[in-house]
Amino acid sequence: MLKINELQASIDESKILKGLNLTINPGEVHAIMGPNGSGKSTLASVLAGREDYSVDGGMVHFNGTDLLDMDATERARAGLFLAFQYPVEIPGVSNINFMRAAVNGKREHEGLDPIKGKDFLEMVKEKAKLVELDGRLRNRSVNEGFSGGEKKRNEIFQMAMLEPKLAILDETDSGLDIDALRVVSEGVNAMRSPDRSFLVITHYQRLLDYIVPDFVHVLVDGRIVRSGGKELALELEERGYDWIKEDALA
Amino acid sequence: MMDLAKPQVMDRPTKSVQHAATQEKGVAFVEALDRIMGSARSAYDEVLSSLPVPHRRVERWKYTPVAAWWSEVKAAETATVAAAGCEPNPIPGLDAYRMVFVNGHFDAAASDLPVHPGVVCMPLSQAPPETLQAMDAQQPEHAEWFAALNGKFASEGMYLRVEKNTVLDRPILVHHRCTGEGSVSFLRHDMVIGAHAQVKCVQWSSASEDAMGAVNILTRASIGENTRLSLDKVQDEGGQVKHVAFEDIRQARGSRADVHTVTIRGQWVRNDLTFRIDGEGSHAELNGIFLPLDGEFVDNHTTVDHRVAHCTSSENYKGILYGKSTGVFNGKVFVRPDAQQTNAYQQNANILASDQATMNAKPELEIYADDVKCSHGCTIGQFDNEALFYARSRGVGLEAAKAMLVHAFIGEVLQGLAVPEVRLEVEHRLAEKHQWEIWSDHPDNES
Repeated sequence: MLKINELQASIDESKILKGLNLTINPGEVHAIMGPNGSGKSTLASVLAGREDYSVDGGMVHFNGTDLLDMDATERARAGLFLAFQYPVEIPGVSNINFMRAAVNGKREHEGLDPIKGKDFLEMVKEKAKLVELDGRLRNRSVNEGFSGGEKKRNEIFQMAMLEPKLAILDETDSGLDIDALRVVSEGVNAMRSPDRSFLVITHYQRLLDYIVPDFVHVLVDGRIVRSGGKELALELEERGYDWIKEDALA
Repeated sequence: MMDLAKPQVMDRPTKSVQHAATQEKGVAFVEALDRIMGSARSAYDEVLSSLPVPHRRVERWKYTPVAAWWSEVKAAETATVAAAGCEPNPIPGLDAYRMVFVNGHFDAAASDLPVHPGVVCMPLSQAPPETLQAMDAQQPEHAEWFAALNGKFASEGMYLRVEKNTVLDRPILVHHRCTGEGSVSFLRHDMVIGAHAQVKCVQWSSASEDAMGAVNILTRASIGENTRLSLDKVQDEGGQVKHVAFEDIRQARGSRADVHTVTIRGQWVRNDLTFRIDGEGSHAELNGIFLPLDGEFVDNHTTVDHRVAHCTSSENYKGILYGKSTGVFNGKVFVRPDAQQTNAYQQNANILASDQATMNAKPELEIYADDVKCSHGCTIGQFDNEALFYARSRGVGLEAAKAMLVHAFIGEVLQGLAVPEVRLEVEHRLAEKHQWEIWSDHPDNES
């Protein structure tokens, strides 16, 4: 599904990723944890194709194609989805028209005609149920005036609409209360399948109680310094990151 | 009370700002028009010679190069839409009364004049001279050279008189078509609208793809008490047409006037709106959008003159400038000493879609009353990169994402157009001009 080899990336000439390796197979859920500033969100941005970052070395293959060769639109159409840490507000563009343009973009890529209005609305209704997204929010401007929890539910709704092959959740748990965390996690879990993979980026173990990962990786200073199973997250919760940093330096 | 001795927009500029070389060009232009039109001397000749022909040192024309106007003028050969090969009504689905003009000539066969109790609507050339003289006396065009030019040369246009309490059942579409090379079309639309009446008017200016002429339209409206007038003004002129338009609107007590100016296409466009609010409890609404492509020039000058108390005005102009295009916005709000409790709002927001585009924006508020609320905002920015990336990360193409942001940006002004069919056609044509696909699958368009 995704193969990252010695990835190096920087922003404004400061190096953030310093040779990162990661392989994700179909159906797997990987969690990336790490202290502030270790490069977690940079990894998400670079994979999604944010142009503020420059890739200085390494390779990323996504289903056999060179991901770094594609622009953000092409990556999304090829089946990569990024749930934003801070979803963007777009005043004047209704959520529903936004999604329609997105769905039709994907369909165009697949050689399909634009979706019919009726089919689209049915799809919206079905997917919105998954994250209990209010009808009101569907018709409002994208994320405008949404609460933190509503924004994150909207991200998962969009993910459900686009049915990606690989979904990257960038600190989707930040700013969520317990109820919203449960709803969002259930939405994600409902989408788990043998041919869909997830990369879950988080600070806290809490999210991983709900979205149980197959693998946990620890990112320190732009590199993955330790990988393990879901029990690694529990260990981090208990012991913090310092011991791993020390191990990594040693 | 403050003295209003300082120069005002309503005053006649003096000879002192004339620029000799430009003045000569203007005089030669008038003489050429005299020859073509065989026009007699009029009271406006004196006005024309006393006014400065616009040049860069006339403040109101600082960013508006008029040199394009001094090309050779020719009499127009085409005078009907049948000969011009265009539709009398450019707006699909619009059920409206219609006055059609081609190169400044009235096309009777293509027109469908209102037959409605309380409404007199006819070509200006057939209007009783005394009513026109009355209008001229009341709203003389003495402030601007191009308007005075219209005063002298316009012999055609719409004359509309609406009696009090008349609610017109359909909009009146005034369509002007410009064709050919070197023609200069003058139209004057005079409207006198009685108390408690309601009128919707659509002015649509079109041009053939090979048109290389000039258009000068002056609209004068006198609006009675508690009357409502809306004017949707759309400029979609292909070719290389120069277009100058003046609106001179006088409002009586409790009236409301809306002017929406949409510039879809135009090589050189100057819109110059003046609202004079003479009666308390009135509202003036003026909104506009302009999206010039490479090489196009669009200038919107507006003046709202609050002369009496308890009135409101609201202004919202939005521009998106592509390629090497140039835009101008100058919004003057004038609050006179007696205009207490005025609430005036002005907003002008612009997006530079290219780093070679230029926007000159200037809000001008002159406030001489002390108990008023006047707010204005002016921004010039770029596309929101965060929003673009967000849309692209969902698989929306870059151009489609930009189109989406543009639609959102101008949406509030589009929604304000008085006639829904005009809004739909404007959206359609903007999408066509800019090759946007996104609007075609707008769910609103499917019902």
